[in-house]
Amino acid sequence: MKKFLRALGSIRLALVGMVLLGVGAALSYDNPAGTPVWVLVAPLALLAINLFCAIATNPRINRRPGLLVFHLGLFAIIVLAGIGRLTHLDGQLEITEGSAFSPDELTEVKKGPFHGDGLSKVAFIQGSYTVEYNAGMVRGLTHSQVLIPDGRGGMISRVVGDDRPLVLEGYRFYTTYNKGFAPVLTWMPDQGEAMTGTIHMPSYPLFDYKQDSNWTPPGGKPLRFWLRLDTGLRQDAAWLLDGKKASGVLVVNAGERRVELLPGQSLRLEGGSLRYERLTSWMGYKVFYDPTLHWLFVASVVAIMGLGAHFWRKFGVRMQRTHESSITDTPVASSGRMP
Amino acid sequence: MNTFGDIIGRATELPWLWAGLVAYGLATIVVIAGVMRMPHRAAGAMAAHDSYVPSEKARTWHGHEKLVLVLVSSGVALIAIALAERWVRIGHGPFVNLFELLMSQLFSLGLIFAITYWRVPAMRASAVVALPLIWVLGIWVLTLQPVDTPLPPTYHNDWLWAHVGLGKIFLSLCLIGTGLAGVILLRHSERFAPWFRHMPANEVLDGLAWRFMLLAFIFHSLMLVAGAVWAQDAWGRYWSWDALETSSFLNWLLLGMGLHARFTYRVPLRAGAVLIIAVFVFAFFTYFGTPFYSEAAHKGVI
Repeated sequence: MKKFLRALGSIRLALVGMVLLGVGAALSYDNPAGTPVWVLVAPLALLAINLFCAIATNPRINRRPGLLVFHLGLFAIIVLAGIGRLTHLDGQLEITEGSAFSPDELTEVKKGPFHGDGLSKVAFIQGSYTVEYNAGMVRGLTHSQVLIPDGRGGMISRVVGDDRPLVLEGYRFYTTYNKGFAPVLTWMPDQGEAMTGTIHMPSYPLFDYKQDSNWTPPGGKPLRFWLRLDTGLRQDAAWLLDGKKASGVLVVNAGERRVELLPGQSLRLEGGSLRYERLTSWMGYKVFYDPTLHWLFVASVVAIMGLGAHFWRKFGVRMQRTHESSITDTPVASSGRMP
Repeated sequence: MNTFGDIIGRATELPWLWAGLVAYGLATIVVIAGVMRMPHRAAGAMAAHDSYVPSEKARTWHGHEKLVLVLVSSGVALIAIALAERWVRIGHGPFVNLFELLMSQLFSLGLIFAITYWRVPAMRASAVVALPLIWVLGIWVLTLQPVDTPLPPTYHNDWLWAHVGLGKIFLSLCLIGTGLAGVILLRHSERFAPWFRHMPANEVLDGLAWRFMLLAFIFHSLMLVAGAVWAQDAWGRYWSWDALETSSFLNWLLLGMGLHARFTYRVPLRAGAVLIIAVFVFAFFTYFGTPFYSEAAHKGVI
């Protein structure tokens, strides 16, 4: 049994595992759609077994505290990364200014099979945002205001953006370049209740030339919208994208009819009326959840500290000796193997 | 539209950079001339080594070595001024375009090489290999325009500093290991072997080189961790197999395999030296090659 464990924990198997992991990493470059996940999982599993057996049986590891900590750390990283993938969540969110977060609005969701239902506990309301632009339309800092429950029935304001995510219940919301404007429309059918909603126009200013969208009223004919914006956009100088200072004329194409609406104006259509209430904005977030993040960091740092301690203990003094031997111009014989 | 003349005219850091490169160039010439002249004295000393008692001065410094250290240190100081000048002018550190990345590498490689040159006499003659390698970057930076690139919003993060700084230490330690490995390989050439006769035996250089590589491995690992924390903050994921991440992870694996092989098996000296150089070449490709096959080295950088 011990012989078997030693074979599983051998350096040779570690080298094979590392080569396989290298191949898997190369195949995973840029996350190609056709590459199966096992090209990484299989070598990592092999290396986890190899590490575990090496820690248990190899005295060159388990009798050297620094090396032991390093290899235990590596083992922990592999295990934690595995747990992370099984419980993670990745997704995208477009949320309108003034509206509350709803998990149902997440798109492009990828999650592990053991991901819980923590997202349902997340609550916040999207506020307004500003984005700085340098000359040449180079994006600068994003400041996105969010309102979160303070636990006493009220709300507190927080500003997030770029590398300052909103973290709630372990879920991390990152602002993205994807943001834009949304006309608020009310559809008043001839019979039935009025309904108010927003139409998210394409990302701005990335698609400032293409601010159009489609919507079909219930029981009506398709409508085509085009938003003519005035945001103060400048190509040649620094500029601030601020939804509060933007205005927009909504151009509605209903069949052959073309009508321009200002905020507050209505349009009579077949089956009801459409009112353009006001212009608002939407922000795109990337949503990320991985409960192992902090533990991964701790395991990584502890592992490297272990290796550093091993280096210091093994070579700290010897390096000094090497200097001393070298300055006498004396060739020093060695076995060719590191001590 | 900015013309070439406008860009050069604005780049007040260029004279300092050029002066620093001249200092590095002079250091390279002095070290090569120095080791070419040294064998006769050193060989004599070694032949009579049992009775040879070097003076206190000779114990530490060979004739040209202090001048090399002064020149490299001057180069580091001049490039530091160039970096500071540029930093003040454009308002951010050297983190974005290739020109400033090369410039900062010239600084960090020179600085760590100078410190090691001062503190580890056994590696000094390896400057014959290491300094020309630094000069590859020097020539490259001369071909680039010192254009100003705004700092992306995700670069306003303290972990970026840690990530970049640790990476620079890693590459510098690799360079020192590569210098020593280069000496081991050059000693197999009849033409170059006499240049290094005053240096310790190959076995000692090999041991020293791998110690630097182990240290490089530690800093590479720290760089990956700091980079992962930065990536998590900046782009909402700690790892995404983008061009730099994949390449640096492969580099980490290669070095890890090399260390396992070196510490466990009797790797022939020449094979070990080739492996060290391979790690350095891979690292060099990772740092400076990714812009050629990836639009954005790190996803989300823009």
